[in-house]
Amino acid sequence: MINLIPGMQTTADALNVERVRMDIISQNIANAHTTKDANGDVYQRKQVAFEAYLQDSNGVDHPQRGVRVAAIENDPRPGQVVYQPGHPHADAEGMVTLPNVELSREMVDMITSSRAYEANLSVVKTARQMAMQALSIGK
Amino acid sequence: MSFLSSIQGISHELFGADTTRPPQELQNFREAAQAWKADRPQALGEVARTGAPSFSDVMSGLVEGVQEKHTIAREETRKILSGESTNLHQSVIAGQEASVAFTLMVEVRNKLVEAYQELMRMQV
Repeated sequence: MINLIPGMQTTADALNVERVRMDIISQNIANAHTTKDANGDVYQRKQVAFEAYLQDSNGVDHPQRGVRVAAIENDPRPGQVVYQPGHPHADAEGMVTLPNVELSREMVDMITSSRAYEANLSVVKTARQMAMQALSIGK
Repeated sequence: MSFLSSIQGISHELFGADTTRPPQELQNFREAAQAWKADRPQALGEVARTGAPSFSDVMSGLVEGVQEKHTIAREETRKILSGESTNLHQSVIAGQEASVAFTLMVEVRNKLVEAYQELMRMQV
């Protein structure tokens, strides 16, 4: 049977994508002071990029554009370098590189992601209400 | 009717006929039966279809659709509970789809039953 609630595939995509963004934000905030990453360097802030893609028609005349994660990449800007000779990860001159994660920027991103998630959820609720109202015509 | 007369012919011919080859009347009978069947493609006992879907087609289509959506919703919930997927909204949306499809089926059934009752109330 065709989807009865309009636009659900697109909204589900958007909710997935916002979840991924939240995952990355939580990773960034958790590693805000990590001086050694899994690959040996200092932790670099990760950022996500989204892209739109054409969904399969499935019989609908106007194919919709869903959204998906295009890339999860490192932010290349270098972090702060401070002088801390006693630090376990200090190099020969006593300099330690800190991650380039700014907590305030991450918090703003988190608010954006949360509001986008809420907006998509309200689309789901409203679309479902529309479908139920159509079904109640006969009652 | 040609095959009836050929049946009468068979009852004369079978006694003392050449058993290695079917008698001519039997052959005629077989050909006539095939020609009759070719005129009417459906088997005896089947109602000829007019082409429009009947109520039973509509209802069984709806039931299949609801069953499919219900299966998808159950599968999504199972994935969440077993940890394979972290997209909670997927299972909630699938559950809502199944619920709306079920309501649609119930409404169609109600309308059909109402129409039937209206018909039965008619004075003969």
